[in-house]
Amino acid sequence: MAHKQKRYALLIDSRKCIDCKSCVVACRAENGVPLAYSRNWINEEHRGAWPKLQAAFEPEQCHHCTDPACVRVCPTGASRQRPDGIVVVDDADCVGCRYCIIACPYDARFFREDRGVVEKCDLCAHRVDRGEVPACVETCPSKARVFGDLNDANGKLRDVLAKRNYRVKKPEAGTGPQIYYLL
Amino acid sequence: MCVNKCSVIAVVNNGVIQKLNPNPENPKSRSMVCARGNAGLQQVYDPSRLKRPLIRVGARGEGKWRPASWDEAFDFAAQKLSAVKEKYGPQGTLWSSTESFQEVFFQNLAQAFGSPNLVRHPSLCLASVNLAYSTTFGTVPSFDLQNARYIIMSGANRMEALAMPDSVDLIDSVSDKKARLIYLDPRFTVTASKADEWYPIRPGTDLAFILAMLNVIIGENRHDKEFVNTYCSGFDKLAEHVKPFTPDWAEAETEIPAKDIVRMAREFADAGHRAVYYAGRRSSWYQDDFQMRRGQAILNAIVGNWDRLGGMVPNAKVALGEYLFLPWDDPKAPRVDEVEKNFPLANKGDGSYLKLRENVLAGTPYPVKAWMIHKQDPVNSLPDQAKTLRMIEQMDFVGVIDIQMSDTAWFADVIFPESTYLERQDPIEVMSGIWPVVVYRQPVIKPLHDTKPTLDIAQGLAKRLNLSQYFDYTIEQWVEAQAKELPLQMPLEHLKKHGVYVPPGSPKYGTTLNSEHRFVTKSGKIDLYSERLQEAGYDPLPVYRQPAQPPPGRFRLILGRKAYFTHGNTTNNPWLNAFAPENHLWLHPSSADALNISDGDKIEVASNVGTVRLKARVTQEIRPDCVFMLHGFGKRSKWQRLVAGVGAADTQLLETAWDKVSGNAAMHETFVKVRKV
Repeated sequence: MAHKQKRYALLIDSRKCIDCKSCVVACRAENGVPLAYSRNWINEEHRGAWPKLQAAFEPEQCHHCTDPACVRVCPTGASRQRPDGIVVVDDADCVGCRYCIIACPYDARFFREDRGVVEKCDLCAHRVDRGEVPACVETCPSKARVFGDLNDANGKLRDVLAKRNYRVKKPEAGTGPQIYYLL
Repeated sequence: MCVNKCSVIAVVNNGVIQKLNPNPENPKSRSMVCARGNAGLQQVYDPSRLKRPLIRVGARGEGKWRPASWDEAFDFAAQKLSAVKEKYGPQGTLWSSTESFQEVFFQNLAQAFGSPNLVRHPSLCLASVNLAYSTTFGTVPSFDLQNARYIIMSGANRMEALAMPDSVDLIDSVSDKKARLIYLDPRFTVTASKADEWYPIRPGTDLAFILAMLNVIIGENRHDKEFVNTYCSGFDKLAEHVKPFTPDWAEAETEIPAKDIVRMAREFADAGHRAVYYAGRRSSWYQDDFQMRRGQAILNAIVGNWDRLGGMVPNAKVALGEYLFLPWDDPKAPRVDEVEKNFPLANKGDGSYLKLRENVLAGTPYPVKAWMIHKQDPVNSLPDQAKTLRMIEQMDFVGVIDIQMSDTAWFADVIFPESTYLERQDPIEVMSGIWPVVVYRQPVIKPLHDTKPTLDIAQGLAKRLNLSQYFDYTIEQWVEAQAKELPLQMPLEHLKKHGVYVPPGSPKYGTTLNSEHRFVTKSGKIDLYSERLQEAGYDPLPVYRQPAQPPPGRFRLILGRKAYFTHGNTTNNPWLNAFAPENHLWLHPSSADALNISDGDKIEVASNVGTVRLKARVTQEIRPDCVFMLHGFGKRSKWQRLVAGVGAADTQLLETAWDKVSGNAAMHETFVKVRKV
């Protein structure tokens, strides 16, 4: 059977997120991200009035869109998409113009003042290329994130997406985000 | 960093630790690493770590030190300890420690020295829980949260306060809708947000809720009669005892609607052996804490969840070998906290921290003038910090072993810097539980600084105290002796390669469920009614007494934890501090309005023993009669630069109170005044 091109994506079950920040620290360690920045984060929403209260937590990072705005606007080709869907920034080609930061609908990118380049989540491409999962996925106590290959018909992602309802964030931005949030 | 010690694998590049990844071979750490675990490498590379022995040159707490050689530090401490021993006897020394892999060597030094005064963390933690369950069942069981179907929790904020296997199992069960979670807490926590039902219970009334549950279950004949008849003792007395405690009565006490109490009691009984009232890990709150925990234990017992899938299961054992060293004589003097007299049923070895402090300050029954502390921070963890500082003041000598300049180290005379857990080899440990595993920690880098493992520190001191004969071994010999009992061909090689030994098979349920089984209790059965308690002068069945309520203009100070700090010794870790750089006092908007306080205002908080200043956080997520602050801030140690004088220390406000049976610190008995400044 011909080898099918992989398409990596993340599935997130926010109900399982307890806002413990393990993913944020794991990413920091794995990718050497200085304290002033974060490649991933947890959105918090608190609602209601005493005693009818609600709180929700939602992990987020680069959505590795199918039609990434950041790649479209990059004048040097530093921001590019790998065939497996992972959107990366090549340091050597990044001139620090920051168009991509403005273009990203998810505010997933930041400018590293110390290095003069733009950075963001690359799904730990170096780990993925070794056959491992991203650090945020591995470390998560409640396994709120699932990493996998959307093109794998027998994979976990396809299986869960077939059975469960889900949404993507800001579909109207038209970039084809590839983080699937379970409902 | 944490008592659970989940297994990690270090990624080391050119002698530098890059990352700590979960060790998937250890089922007890559920293939995860929490935020604290991930930030462990920052502890190693912390620029303000203790890097060499220090001897104090200024006044205590002034923060003036001079570096010393190990020989000099050992000589200094040994001379001081010997002087105290000469004048007051070995009982004139106090030795404090908390759970850690090398604690055993520190404890051995204390005992070889001849002191009866070893005081450990349980009386600041779960002593009341442990005593309540062992009084009832003869042992402290684990809760099978992976398989439970109905879980009630009082305050144990498991999804937010501590990230370990129980927390993970709970999240899985609740979010996959396998289990129903009922959660009682005066504060809206992460656990409350995930629970199926959250009740902001009136603080200190949990036992009223439990007694009403018992009233309904027994009144409606919903208990597991066969189990109760076979395994329990004193059911008739219990049935009589709970008759007056109706759901309507409990509603008035707890503010939980009676109809909900009735429904929950029925649901709990219907879930039967897969229903648990989770004991959790949490320090005691009130002076009747033991009795409240007893109530939980009894409720668990009568629905028959003992030793069943999804219930409470006695811990299984894995036997380790022991290195046989020369035994020492038992201490001649009684303990200074007089545990035998004050808390006759409590664990004698761990002591009662607060009663101990009272006695040391009073000089009764004898003077205690030297204090050795191993990786514990009593200044930052005991209620009523001013008293702890007075206790330090009256010591002739204070010595601390730690990896960082804790608040207690800040007041020490000599500090011995320990190598961190990533720089030393530790004894083999058993992680207990329904399915225990054996873990082994190996160094991944050489010590960065002039530090030593605790065994070397104990040996250095022992040599100068003429106690070397008790420490005639190396860590390698110790570990080898432990490993050789494991049922493996090459046990140590296995542990070195895998870091963990997982006994084959799967968790076993029901090993104690045969009529021949004798529980280690007074009656040999599960003691619903406890003659042992009665003989010791305590209520043999839990009696509810309403705790004192805050007078007008005051609030009850309640405590809680965040998993990235939990016990507060990682608030200075930059990767973790970033999530909460300071603590705030939580106030309900109605309380804040009355005091003209807005979110972010600087406020003063005063109890009968202390006054602190910090910022207000005005939030709906707390009862109007309570205030809350996170632990681990307002540190005294200037070396903890991110939190020194930042926010405020709860321990400065908390007053001295303890649970009457276990001697455990009662942490929710303090009322505070709040004003804008």
